[in-house]
Amino acid sequence: MSAITRWLERRRIERDLAIEMNGHIEELAEDMIEAGQNPEQALQNARRKFGNVPLQMERSRDAWGWTAIGEFIADVRFGYRLLAKSPVFAMVAILTLALGIGASTAVFTVVDSVLLKPLGYRDSGDLVVAWERLAFLGPGVEGPNPLHEDLWKKRATDFAGMAMLNQGSRGVALGLEHPRITGSVTAEVNLFDLLGVTPMMGRGFAERDTIKGSAPVAVLSYALWQGLFGGDPNVIGKQARVGDTLTEVIGILPESFRFPNRNALPTFNTGQRGSAAPEPGIFLPVAMDLSQFGWSGDYGNWVALGRLRSGVDIRQAQAQLTAIESEVGDHMRAQGAAAQPTVFVQPLQKAVVQDSERGLWLLMSAVIALLLIACLNLANTQLGRALSRRREAAVRSALGASKWRLVRVSLAENLLLAFAGGAAGVLLATEGVNLFRHYSVVDIPRLAEVDVNLTVLAFSLAVTAGASILFGMLPALRLAHVPPQEALQANSGRATGGRSSRSASRWLVGLEVAGCAALLTITGLFGKSLLHLMTQERGFDTRRVAVAQVELSRKTKSDPAVRAAFDDSVLEALHAIPGVDSAGLVSAMPLEGESWIEGIVRSDSPQQDNPQLNLRWVSPGYFETTGQRLVAGRFFEERDRNLNGVVLSEGLAKKLWPARTPLGGEVQIQGRKFNVIGIAADSRATSLKLAPPNIAYVHYRDRTPYTTIFMVRGRQSGEAMLASVRQAIWSRFPDVTITRVKTLDAQLSDSLAIERFQTMVLVASGGAALALAMLGIYGVLSCSVEGRRKEIGVRMAVGATRGGICIETLRESAVPVTAGLGLGLLAGMWASREVRGLLYGVSGIEPELLLGVAALFVLVALMAGFLPARRAASVDPMNALRGE
Amino acid sequence: MKRKKQDQDLLPGTLEMLILQTLRRGPLHGYAVAQYIREASEELLNVEEGSLYPALQRLLREEWVAAEWGLSPRNRRVRIYRLTAAGRKHLQRETAGFDRLLTGISRIMRPAES
Repeated sequence: MSAITRWLERRRIERDLAIEMNGHIEELAEDMIEAGQNPEQALQNARRKFGNVPLQMERSRDAWGWTAIGEFIADVRFGYRLLAKSPVFAMVAILTLALGIGASTAVFTVVDSVLLKPLGYRDSGDLVVAWERLAFLGPGVEGPNPLHEDLWKKRATDFAGMAMLNQGSRGVALGLEHPRITGSVTAEVNLFDLLGVTPMMGRGFAERDTIKGSAPVAVLSYALWQGLFGGDPNVIGKQARVGDTLTEVIGILPESFRFPNRNALPTFNTGQRGSAAPEPGIFLPVAMDLSQFGWSGDYGNWVALGRLRSGVDIRQAQAQLTAIESEVGDHMRAQGAAAQPTVFVQPLQKAVVQDSERGLWLLMSAVIALLLIACLNLANTQLGRALSRRREAAVRSALGASKWRLVRVSLAENLLLAFAGGAAGVLLATEGVNLFRHYSVVDIPRLAEVDVNLTVLAFSLAVTAGASILFGMLPALRLAHVPPQEALQANSGRATGGRSSRSASRWLVGLEVAGCAALLTITGLFGKSLLHLMTQERGFDTRRVAVAQVELSRKTKSDPAVRAAFDDSVLEALHAIPGVDSAGLVSAMPLEGESWIEGIVRSDSPQQDNPQLNLRWVSPGYFETTGQRLVAGRFFEERDRNLNGVVLSEGLAKKLWPARTPLGGEVQIQGRKFNVIGIAADSRATSLKLAPPNIAYVHYRDRTPYTTIFMVRGRQSGEAMLASVRQAIWSRFPDVTITRVKTLDAQLSDSLAIERFQTMVLVASGGAALALAMLGIYGVLSCSVEGRRKEIGVRMAVGATRGGICIETLRESAVPVTAGLGLGLLAGMWASREVRGLLYGVSGIEPELLLGVAALFVLVALMAGFLPARRAASVDPMNALRGE
Repeated sequence: MKRKKQDQDLLPGTLEMLILQTLRRGPLHGYAVAQYIREASEELLNVEEGSLYPALQRLLREEWVAAEWGLSPRNRRVRIYRLTAAGRKHLQRETAGFDRLLTGISRIMRPAES
């Protein structure tokens, strides 16, 4: 019988025990009767010999351990009654705890799922990504050159396998409907084996799928299968249109399978992220045709995913690849290339989450800080309540209650509060996380895996218990040390005084203010950073612009003339939309980082070292649509169709021709010659967070791209034009894949989504903390005024003015607030160093920020102290002196 | 588990040891155990009979004895306690400890005799 069963059956056990004991007494009596005593006498003697039955009963209960449980339950009941007597306090406390615990649990859920939980693949600790780094491409890492990777595959014995992959978006459709956009992964055929995943239906890739001329095949994710085919059980062998190609579905991946999207696992990583990308839904096989590549160049187009042999340390693998890289260097030198890349191997999990790590820990800290401040507040309030129960505690102590017994009621009360708050908090957290998952624009990696699980619940429980101890113990201990003689002092009445407990309160307030000040300082920094990002000069105008991204099929539109005709036609349709002032196209979506990196050479001084640039193919009207400024020369016009003109960005032009004007000069990009016809002002077209990049713009007839971004600027808002843009494109080409349509304003916002989210959370936390600090100061002053009624009365009677009392009351809060402020600002300054990497345009804490926070607190302290000060000033000396 | 002093005459835990030792001779019901302790110690040990029962509960909880309802020699319905294997082991340990204690005390109290 387990302990719980015994507890539930205790009444029966006690009854049996009573029967047993009575039987014992009777037997004893029987023996005595046999020995000659008369029956009544014998019974009496037997009873006396046996001893005190109820006492033994109680001792038996003790032996089973039920006394302790019984006392605990009694305490909890009592605690509940106490709370019911002050429902407002209880509600406020539970709400505060619910918010604090809920927020921490929600953020921890994300942190756990994203950063701590291992990826869901077999032995995911063995999965790594291998990058190459080249000095001239900057500090970021690049996906490797396919020839280099091939050499690694052949030579690296520490690896069980390696696969190249890259990601994009594809439109997928059944029949003639408009395609739905999904993330696509194009990978070598061993990808699924590498990950240790078996499709739940059909098969994975095989070598024969990539033979030239064989039918195109694809493996679908569970979600895409549900969405596109409605979960059709006979989907294997059916066909779907991927882009313009009819593709056979050969396999469906398990429901639990997740693959990082193209932001989490990009082909080159400069630390900048694009806006939210869809989860990969379709997987396409590819065989690398190594004859296309040379030993130099061709970096950053593929990601090399590898699996280490079991037992191999990652550093070993790194060393091995570095050794092989020197062989790569030999090949490169043989072809005349100078720069040699270095290899960098990192665990797959790290690669996927590293950009989000710091931001997530920042959130975690902010939320924990808020919870701590809330607990401090509660502790203060509890202190006040404890003081008002001193008399009761004194009486109980005089009646013989041990100190522990006194503390236990307080503890029970706090545990009740904590668990109520904790339960509400977990509910809030679950809801919050769901909302976040569905409505977030913030592209956190592994977001789809975020789920409330046992670790999270354990964390939440720990936080709850910790909070309850934090805010409960101090007042509880105070109660325990009440000397019993206080109960005998008729005078003490509402003895809500005691200098020691007031000073404890002030300490708590000081700590609250410190925490709040630190939080506000960090919030201020982030606010400033965000403001800077949004208001700094960008060089382009996002108002009233709509953009649409179109993917042309490599099969049906492989002829550049066909693509050019497509672009011409669409541009014509866009110009025809009523209310449109200008329209144009560009080969890459603005604000999604650098791409198409090329070198450039001046024809007249080819030995000059020049920086890398971003190459963009644009149409006439592009610059007018984005509102970029012309510095010199001209932008593209119709006549540039067949001329080889190039427009350079200002900074690039200066670097190429430091002395004279670049106009008319000749350059070579990608081996082709261009004439500089114009200079465009620098703009932050690739990212608001970086310096304006070097860009060279070329007419789209040069190399008409497959991915095209059409843009229109009109007289109405961008929102109003979205439908017309889509309509215009589909009116000419009904089955082309339009990956996305949005306003340029929205694209701008999205590119700052993470920064906006961080600032929003910090502002919310900071605001809440400020409110709590204000409540805390108010509470302390209130209590103090109550406790010093008599003293105030006396002082007023001997001549103190009301104003003087007022000021003195406010001054009481001065020390904790000032001390807390000082500590908090220092803490904030230290913390600011940790978060510097997340800030833009902010070079550390400026004095204005510190002054601002200080001023804010002075204001808050004054506001909080207003009511208590007024109450103090309005004390009637006669009443106070007469007082009881 | 609170170790309240069971009885003025006994060191804590001794009563339990005595009960276990008594049951070593065979299963008995509560009254019989008390009777045996009384008689075997020749009235030297004055154990309050009621205090047997909390001790028995403790022994049950630790699973050193097991209990079953049965009939006493006088045909009364009683609970009969018997020693378990674990109880036997515990008794050995307690006995050894008690002997050591006893030897130690007598060495101090009666140094000439040890």
